[in-house]
Amino acid sequence: MGFLNASTSFTRYKITEPVPKELWPEIPEKLRQFSFKEIEESAEERGWGWVCFDDMLDSSWHTAPPEKGAYLTFSLRLDTRRIPAAVMKKHVAIAIREEERKIKEQGKKYVSRERKKELKEQVQLKLRARTLPVPAEFHVVWNMQTNDVYFASTQAKVLELFVDYFAQTFGVDLEPMTPYSLAISLMGEDIAEKLDTLEPANFA
Amino acid sequence: MADYLGQTTDIILGQDFLTWLWFRSEVTNGNFSSKEGRPYNLYVEQRISVQGGEGETLETATVSGSTSELKEARLGLSMGKKVTRALIRIEQDTEAWQLTLKAEDFSLGSLKTPKVEKADANEEDDVDGPFLEKIYLIESCLTLLDDTYRTFLETRLSNDWKETVQKIGQWLNNSE
Repeated sequence: MGFLNASTSFTRYKITEPVPKELWPEIPEKLRQFSFKEIEESAEERGWGWVCFDDMLDSSWHTAPPEKGAYLTFSLRLDTRRIPAAVMKKHVAIAIREEERKIKEQGKKYVSRERKKELKEQVQLKLRARTLPVPAEFHVVWNMQTNDVYFASTQAKVLELFVDYFAQTFGVDLEPMTPYSLAISLMGEDIAEKLDTLEPANFA
Repeated sequence: MADYLGQTTDIILGQDFLTWLWFRSEVTNGNFSSKEGRPYNLYVEQRISVQGGEGETLETATVSGSTSELKEARLGLSMGKKVTRALIRIEQDTEAWQLTLKAEDFSLGSLKTPKVEKADANEEDDVDGPFLEKIYLIESCLTLLDDTYRTFLETRLSNDWKETVQKIGQWLNNSE
């Protein structure tokens, strides 16, 4: 998902607190520090971090610096391993059958609930290590003059991760420009009281 | 989006805004004016969702049609439903944008800007040119949307709002 596509879906944010001056020169370093680390060789379910706006395989900004005019640009890369449900079901069934065979030899009949759970976790780990992570990339554009930040996703889970990771990386909080906060941003804090007591209109 | 503090106000503001926007753009033939006094056109078109009720009785009607009058959506409104999502077209000078705006969080869907020329491979100095042009066009669109929202808020938070609500009611009745 990106801003250079013919059509873009995105969410607007604003950094409403003042951005500390000393943060600006540190941003390229912070991006590298919190950059995406490949999870292909592991069994991690999810891996995420920042990558270059122009190339999602570049997590050291060799291709281009994050600055473009008055904007800071980078991407959130999020890789996820998804084991298809049918594959999981099959391998859990195999593992349980194998276990049943083993305990039969010991004269027992049933695999305990606890043991089943354990087997399921083992299968999951084994399959994850054999499943390739699916990469996804979401553009971030930060207007340094207005501190408006645009993030190229509208998926709740991705947005949550983005806001948390942004705060963790830069130490500043993003406020989503929802109807309420956009109203405050456009009209000033004075209208907050009016907004808080708003009743929905009845047009019918 | 998960439940959060202030969500109710977001929903009220967002839905009232989109409902007002549909009405306002129709009765004025889409004529709006920016904060600086520059004219632009804004149309609510083709595709609109209205929603009413809550919990298990929640009902949504999504109506589309390029030249239809979206009768069912209007009917929904006159039965107390609210606009939850709308396809919006904005025009200024010779340029046009199109997007879907969601009432509850103002997330922007499928924003199409005027076309940006591809970078000229020979002009190495200007590698960021297409990006900067694209983001300029996106921000221009956001500014116009903000101007429209400001116009709405000025009415919504003033004593004129009651009168506007009546006018919207009349507009709905007349179009049935």
